[in-house]
Amino acid sequence: MDRQQEFVLRTIEERDVRFVRMWFTDVVGSLKSVALAPAEVEGAFTEGLGFDGSSIEGLSRVFESDMLAQPDPSTFQILPWRGTTEQTSRMFCDILTPDGEPSAADPRNVLKRTLARAADMGFTCYTHPEIEFYLLKSDRPGPDGIPIPVDQAGYFDHVPGGVAQDFRRTAVTMLEDVGISVEFSHHEGGPGQNEIDLRYADALATADNIMTFRTVIREVAIQQGTYATFMPKPFSQHPGSGMHTHFSLFEGDTNAFHEPGAEYQLSKTARQFMAGILRHAPEFTAVTNQFVNSYKRLWGGGEAPSYVSWGHNNRSALMRVPLYKPGKGQASRLEYRGIDSAANPYLAYAVLLGAGLKGIEEGYELPPAAVEDVSALTTAERRALGHHPLPSSLHDAVRQMEESELMPEILGEQVFDHFLRNKRDEWQDYRLQVTPYEIDRYLGVL
Amino acid sequence: MSSLTRTLITLGFSDLEKSERFLGFRELADIDRDELLTALKSANDPDLALQSLVRLLSAVPAARGRLTAVDPETGAAVPNEALFRLLGASEALVDFLIRHPEHLDVLDTPASPEPAAVPQGVLRDSLLSSVCASPGAAVPVAGLTGTEARIALRTQYRRHLVELAIRDLCAASPQDVMPMVGAELADLAAAALEAALAVARAELAAQFPAGDVAAVKFAVIGMGKCGARELNYISDVDVMYVIEVDGAGLPDEVQAVTVGSALASAVSQTIYAPEREPGLWEVDANLRPEGKDGPLVRTLGSYLSYYQRWAADWEFQALLKARAMAGDQELGERFEHAVAPLIWTSSEREGFVASVQAMRRRVTANIRDSEAGRQIKLGKGGLRDVEFTVQLLQLVHAKNDVSLQQRGTTAAIQALTAAGYIGRTDAAKLDAAYRYLRVLEHRIQLVHMRRTHLMPTAPDQLRALARAVAGPMNLKRPSAESLMEDWGRVKRQVHALYEHIFYRPILASAAHLSAADAALTTDTARARLAALGYRDAVGAQRHIEALTAGVSRRAALQRQLLPVLLGWLADGVDPDSGLLAFRRVSEALGTSHWYLGMLRDHQAAAERLCHVLSSSRLVTDLLEVSPEATAWFGNDKELRPVAFEAQWAEIQSKMSRHPEPAEAIRLIRLIRQREVLRTAIADCSGLLSQDQVSKALSDADRAAVLGALLVAEADVQAGAPALTRVLVVAMGRQGGREIGYGSDADVMFVHRPVDGADEVQAQAQAKDVVAKLTSMLTQPVRPAIMAERVLSIDADLRPEGKNGPLVRSLEAYREYYARWSSPWEAQALLRARPMAGSDELAADFIAMIDPVRYPAALGETELREIKRLKARMESERLPRGADPARHVKLGRGGLSDVEWLVQLWQLQNAHAEASLRTTQTIGALHAALALGIVDREDAGVLEGAWRLAGKIRNANVIWSGKPSDVLPSARGDLEAVARWCGYEPGNAAAFEEDYLGLTRRARAVFERLFYG
Repeated sequence: MDRQQEFVLRTIEERDVRFVRMWFTDVVGSLKSVALAPAEVEGAFTEGLGFDGSSIEGLSRVFESDMLAQPDPSTFQILPWRGTTEQTSRMFCDILTPDGEPSAADPRNVLKRTLARAADMGFTCYTHPEIEFYLLKSDRPGPDGIPIPVDQAGYFDHVPGGVAQDFRRTAVTMLEDVGISVEFSHHEGGPGQNEIDLRYADALATADNIMTFRTVIREVAIQQGTYATFMPKPFSQHPGSGMHTHFSLFEGDTNAFHEPGAEYQLSKTARQFMAGILRHAPEFTAVTNQFVNSYKRLWGGGEAPSYVSWGHNNRSALMRVPLYKPGKGQASRLEYRGIDSAANPYLAYAVLLGAGLKGIEEGYELPPAAVEDVSALTTAERRALGHHPLPSSLHDAVRQMEESELMPEILGEQVFDHFLRNKRDEWQDYRLQVTPYEIDRYLGVL
Repeated sequence: MSSLTRTLITLGFSDLEKSERFLGFRELADIDRDELLTALKSANDPDLALQSLVRLLSAVPAARGRLTAVDPETGAAVPNEALFRLLGASEALVDFLIRHPEHLDVLDTPASPEPAAVPQGVLRDSLLSSVCASPGAAVPVAGLTGTEARIALRTQYRRHLVELAIRDLCAASPQDVMPMVGAELADLAAAALEAALAVARAELAAQFPAGDVAAVKFAVIGMGKCGARELNYISDVDVMYVIEVDGAGLPDEVQAVTVGSALASAVSQTIYAPEREPGLWEVDANLRPEGKDGPLVRTLGSYLSYYQRWAADWEFQALLKARAMAGDQELGERFEHAVAPLIWTSSEREGFVASVQAMRRRVTANIRDSEAGRQIKLGKGGLRDVEFTVQLLQLVHAKNDVSLQQRGTTAAIQALTAAGYIGRTDAAKLDAAYRYLRVLEHRIQLVHMRRTHLMPTAPDQLRALARAVAGPMNLKRPSAESLMEDWGRVKRQVHALYEHIFYRPILASAAHLSAADAALTTDTARARLAALGYRDAVGAQRHIEALTAGVSRRAALQRQLLPVLLGWLADGVDPDSGLLAFRRVSEALGTSHWYLGMLRDHQAAAERLCHVLSSSRLVTDLLEVSPEATAWFGNDKELRPVAFEAQWAEIQSKMSRHPEPAEAIRLIRLIRQREVLRTAIADCSGLLSQDQVSKALSDADRAAVLGALLVAEADVQAGAPALTRVLVVAMGRQGGREIGYGSDADVMFVHRPVDGADEVQAQAQAKDVVAKLTSMLTQPVRPAIMAERVLSIDADLRPEGKNGPLVRSLEAYREYYARWSSPWEAQALLRARPMAGSDELAADFIAMIDPVRYPAALGETELREIKRLKARMESERLPRGADPARHVKLGRGGLSDVEWLVQLWQLQNAHAEASLRTTQTIGALHAALALGIVDREDAGVLEGAWRLAGKIRNANVIWSGKPSDVLPSARGDLEAVARWCGYEPGNAAAFEEDYLGLTRRARAVFERLFYG
């Protein structure tokens, strides 16, 4: 029993914790939870908790149903929204095979593997997500089939007595209570749309934080009688919810992306990293934008980036080099704007970092920066400049991912296979639907 | 030849021409040549000694006065042995004297055959005084700083080093004084660090408030060889730094860490930074928590919390050598006490066995080719091997026995012997080997004071080394060859001792011996077995007891051999069942003289046997019923596959002597079983390629089917006229001679009535023959054949499948194919190969089917139908619940995908291209590649996937004894299959990834080329 495990057990005792939730994630990024009585925790540390993996999406083959969940004591946290008496807590788990080896199909393990690869190259990875979501009056759409937002405000609007402001205050407090530092929060472009930026942390902690974040936001919304959604594009006419993420690599305590005097102060490493992400973006879009609905955001106009391009402070580009503030070399970073709020953060970060590291390993050349608004160019202009489109639908994305050799290398053959299978099924289901759009458009005239 | 040259040769000079020239130099003009030559004789390398002498005299003429010394007994002047030994052993130290002639008096060190050590305290005082620090002070602070201090400290250090080297070189037996030399080198290093720390404290006064520096307690912990007090002449000194704030209030921890880090880097600078007098050695703090990325200094609490939470197994093993070496003694000792329990309980940590095995692999792993054969430290039988053996024993046993908690290797060997964990003889051998290797290393390093662990290559260097290792008392002049021989013997001995030392005492405890061997208690022996990878240590002990108990010759021999055998078994996937199998085989064969002889005299055979027993259920099962086959392990000739003709000759002779059908068929089936076993053993021993295995197995099947056919015909036609002759045609993988262990025989039966026979009666008789043949090969016989893997006959690939008649006449086939044949039947015929029956009928059959299977043109309809059939098979044939990604036969990118694709090309092109007319998948694939039907990359992927899938099928049977077409998912099974496929131990997950990736790519190729 190590010190962290002891700490967990002692806290459970002292704070009168009644339930310990073991959290883990399936391939599409849904949070799974098993509640343990405090007496069982010690056993879970040493032996892991057995469960039937066959019923969890992507986690196991049909015939290998015995898996072990082993809690990571460093992620122990009391859950504040359960009140102060009879408290509930949670720990993230690693999934192990019955032989005690890390499961190839555990998304958390996929990210850990990628980070280990980065460590072998001498890098630690930090990420900083900006998470957008909508606050709605309820989880049911209105009579016209459209969800009802809690307000009608816009970007950075201050809404007096607004539900959203109250909401953000409570949510941010609660996030801080569970140890997640918030950098920034404000009203976003769409009605009821909010953005909360988490402080940068190492990539695994960030991914864990995103999972917690989604839960906290939903809980707070429910407490306030509203509903929060991370759906990529709930309204046709309003912007979708993205999860722009800033990446930086450190070698020891120096920022490997920073090189004073270079163009945009970007080091060769940064340029190769960016080249890696851009080259492989069409292959991993199925992961960063994993739902049918994700492509409504990607191709719905507004600020959503639909073409492979990068720019310095160019808000139409897929990757952005944020404005450099003199003397802040440690803050050099690259922003990927393609991910949406419904991505599985473990897999999404694994593929992005993996593609970037590939770029560094192979020494990819970075194409020239896009200086004008990429979406305003004509198709022919974009082709001439080499701004290839991202996949236009989930189907398209799955096809491009199938062709990839890098994705199975990053995700592992098993996650790769399960993920594609799951996504093909989703596309199949979607194709069977006759949508309200079709009824509206065709029924009257055909 | 001049007489001088001859004298030089007698005295052991090598470079005569150069040495003669040096003798003529004016520096030596006034020295009596004969006396000089006699004096040079005592040098290990007279050439080097002469050259160094000339250099010394030309730079420091005063050295002239040191050439002789006064003999304390006679008072006469005799050659100064100290000087001449030093001259012949170390260029670097002579250079030091040239740089610092003021230290020439060190040459007055008396030469003693049994030198005494200089006490720790003397060294400490001397080096502290050299930098004007008071040795008596609680916290000494130097009077010198910067360059001045560095030069003073380093010079004084080297003076002691020269003095030590002289005592070492003059000692009668270098091996005897080796531990003393190692300890004194470590003490000298400690003294240097102590003095450097005093300098650091003085230097820091400029940067920090004096109170802060004084308040920081600072201890240097020696790690590695320095910690163990068995340092080399030149080596990095591994250290860690512990700090503590003395007294309340004064600097906070952050400030203390800053001061501590500054002290640590100042220490390192004083010792090693470039200066007129070169640096001593690198002070290496990389064993500290978090390695290079971690803070340079920590408080004791910080160390402990790191070790409790984060440390990896090797870090505890490294702590085994930790020792308070310099600085605050009390703090250092507290560190020692605090970490001790962590070290000695580390064997209880999860993964200890795996990490030990990985360590052992690293120790004996092959070294760089350029260094192979020259490495003294690494590789089999190197210093690391000794150290590993000793440390492992300490880690396994010391948690219950504090007497083993020793740092030094020689001390640990003594403790292990005293407490009875190693037998006395073995311990003595191990100790001698260790000292021998260390002296080799010392003498090599001494020459240039360079860190090296490689044997020199030049013959004269080797000769000098040989003399240096033998010591001054040796009368015979050792040669380069004798040195290499001795060294080789020591290496072999060290490697063999590992098994001996580790396993022998286990035996002694199990067999209740009272020999000179160490006797372990039952629990201790179990701990040792568990550490080596035996999961059921209690069971293993029982088997060992059974194997070694008693007074029989077998038991006596096995007591000798088991230590080694247990080691080999432990290298396999499943040591426990390997040991059990060994016991069974041994009990069945124990009295056969050849068996014991083979184990004793034929090491390769015994190793092979152990390897197979601990990794193959199939072979183990078969060996249990036919233990005499164990003899093959010792004889590669016996393991060569027996050609079909030879098998057939044997069957014929058996049939002629045993006309009774039941008896004949039993013998035939026994022959097949024997050949399968032979192939399996040869396969496990790495003697056969995958293709050779398939061929050998299909030959065995063919001989058995042919035998069964003849017996069946004779039986059915006994007493009645022979109406027809039957031909057995191999189909499917059997037809392609691509089968694995436990494959069915896919066949088709053809007959042709003899002239004038009634067709209906002939058909009936053919049917009887076929039925008889099938039942004879598959039905139980009496007496039963144990552990037989019956050859099942599968005729489902015949026209109309299960609904068609089991056998047809050639004419019936001709008619059928002319009128009805569907594309899959033509496809099935691609691999038809007559296997038993009349040659003439076989030729006619082939002539009849060739136009069917190699059609002039494959129509669109047929093409579509084949594709459709394959598509339907994919969804229907896969067993319920099976994961397509892991099914090697019918799964994605598996055998079936590759074979269908190749067969499609054959159907389309073989009519025009004769090279495609083969029943073998790989043969046809290669032909397709040559014809440009498929490109090289695609063909490579297809072949790779097909071969790997076939290998996995075989591995499944070999490992578990049961045929399976699925890539196992249980980790143990997967590990076994991975090793069979050539992966290093512990790579099951990588193997799984590789298989899944390869078949995914193969499937992509297949989909593109087959479905289009």
